[in-house]
Amino acid sequence: MIEFKDVCVSYASGWQALHNLNLTVEKGEFAFIVGPTGAGKSTLLKLIYRDEKPTQGTIRVSDQNLNEMRLRDIPFLRRKIGVVYQDFGLLPNKTVYENVAFALQVIGAARSTIRKQVPHVLELVAMGHRPDSFPNQLSGGEQQRVAIARALVNDPPILLADEPTGNLDPETSMGIIQLLNHIHVRGTTVLVATHDHAIVDMMQRRVLAFERGKLVRDELVGAYRSAEFEEPRP
Amino acid sequence: MKLHSLIFLIGEAGRNIRRNGLMSLAALGTVTVALTVLGGSLWTTFRLNEFARLQPERFNRIDLFLPATSDRSVADALQKRIEKLPNVKNVELVPKEEAWKLIQQQEPTLTQALETNPLPDKLEVELEDPTQVSSLAQQFRDHKAFSQVEKVVDAGEEVRTLVNFARIIKIVGGGLSIGLFVATLFIIHNTIRLTVFARRREVRIMQMVGATPGFIRLPLLLEGLFHGTIGGIIAGVLVLLCGREVSLFVTSLKSPLVGNQASLLSPAQIFVLITLMGACLGVVGSFLAIRRFVRQI
Ligand SMILES: Nc1ncnc2c1ncn2[C@@H]1O[C@H](COP(=O)(O)OP(=O)(O)OP(=O)(O)O)[C@@H](O)[C@H]1O
Ligand SMILES: [Mg+2]
Repeated sequence: MIEFKDVCVSYASGWQALHNLNLTVEKGEFAFIVGPTGAGKSTLLKLIYRDEKPTQGTIRVSDQNLNEMRLRDIPFLRRKIGVVYQDFGLLPNKTVYENVAFALQVIGAARSTIRKQVPHVLELVAMGHRPDSFPNQLSGGEQQRVAIARALVNDPPILLADEPTGNLDPETSMGIIQLLNHIHVRGTTVLVATHDHAIVDMMQRRVLAFERGKLVRDELVGAYRSAEFEEPRP
Repeated sequence: MKLHSLIFLIGEAGRNIRRNGLMSLAALGTVTVALTVLGGSLWTTFRLNEFARLQPERFNRIDLFLPATSDRSVADALQKRIEKLPNVKNVELVPKEEAWKLIQQQEPTLTQALETNPLPDKLEVELEDPTQVSSLAQQFRDHKAFSQVEKVVDAGEEVRTLVNFARIIKIVGGGLSIGLFVATLFIIHNTIRLTVFARRREVRIMQMVGATPGFIRLPLLLEGLFHGTIGGIIAGVLVLLCGREVSLFVTSLKSPLVGNQASLLSPAQIFVLITLMGACLGVVGSFLAIRRFVRQI
């Protein structure tokens, strides 16, 4: 589903954000991307939805070579990928329903599709009861659920989440991760970049650990820290 | 593009304008001021241009007045003779009856008091080369050569200086207008860039969920079109109002130089032109703004 081959990313400053990355994520997998700040987690996700281009190497997403992709095909790649951010990115002057519908409206979806899909996906993230609320009337966790609904409303096969629980308290974070897991179980490939030890340790999923742009650990069932280093938890 | 999408995009542009009322108002104000200055200066230059273009014809002419008592045959003979002179392009005889009829029409109260026609026959001599007006007029003033002529009227040296001055204004004004045009485009572009910047969240989300560039651009272009058109309409009204004041003032001077020259452009045409200019600048300005902005994020 997602394949990186000898991928390097250097920014104009000369800084190497990713270094010689080889990685395959299969269809329907759930993986955490962990590592200290500046390790290259966000850069990795941006490469997948073609927000960044690799300096070297090839990237394939659902059998498409992103290097060969024309600019006008990028929107169609992105319709297959849902993205969720730490800061939710909801439009403050649209209601919950409008925020989710917006994602379908701007890709030209038919009104009947919108009327069917939006309530359905709001139900999925357990926000079906508040379609008319504005983002500032919601808690952080509720806002993130709406953002996830927006990412999923077009039914993409891939969901990327960049620190989706970064602004949430531990309990709410668990709820969001349960939701992401639920989506994964329905068949979506899910990649989550996170700093959250508790979540990674609890989920016991594939862990891709990065340090200074290098993939230093790839375990199919892993924890936030590698088993070899037994450090006291903060 | 499907109809429901178009309706959505137009609605989105409208919502954006309404929601960001103060910002829209500021943008509209800036665009209006820029277009008023540009439209006003373009029109002024156009008028001066017309003036400068028409003047040489008006002054490339010598009027010869014959004595009021003189016979028509004298006038005819003189016309034939002058037509043969070098540098004379055309000689037109204006019979006194014709001139009298015209004045009777224009000034009925004034002419009622007079019973007989006091006007003389007139010959209008048109020259090939306007620079020769003075020397030829000098020849006509020579009583030995042209004893039939009572009075010679030609455009004075001052008038020609003024015509030259108008020509300079035409060139300088043209240059200034081009500069102002570029400045206006820049101002509108910058203003719309600010409104586009205010939409960065929407634009970002549209990009992330896979909206095509056309879909992202259209509401922003519509917003630019809206600001440009409304700004153009207000500017058009302002320019016409100012123009009317200026022309009333000029008419009140009763200067023989200005006269009552009709413009080739009617007020309605000027209004439409300024509005169209605003609309075009709005679309081009927002197009440039979007291109730069959408590439940035
Ligand atoms: N546009 C850019 N220009 C220059 N350098 C950049 C740019 N984006 C990221 N970087 C650098 O690349 C490196 C990796 O950044 P990235 O955002 O991928 O880190 P991260 O692992 O997501 O960190 P965090 O946990 O803080 O989000 C960082 O050192 C960052 O400074
Ligand atoms: Mg990051």
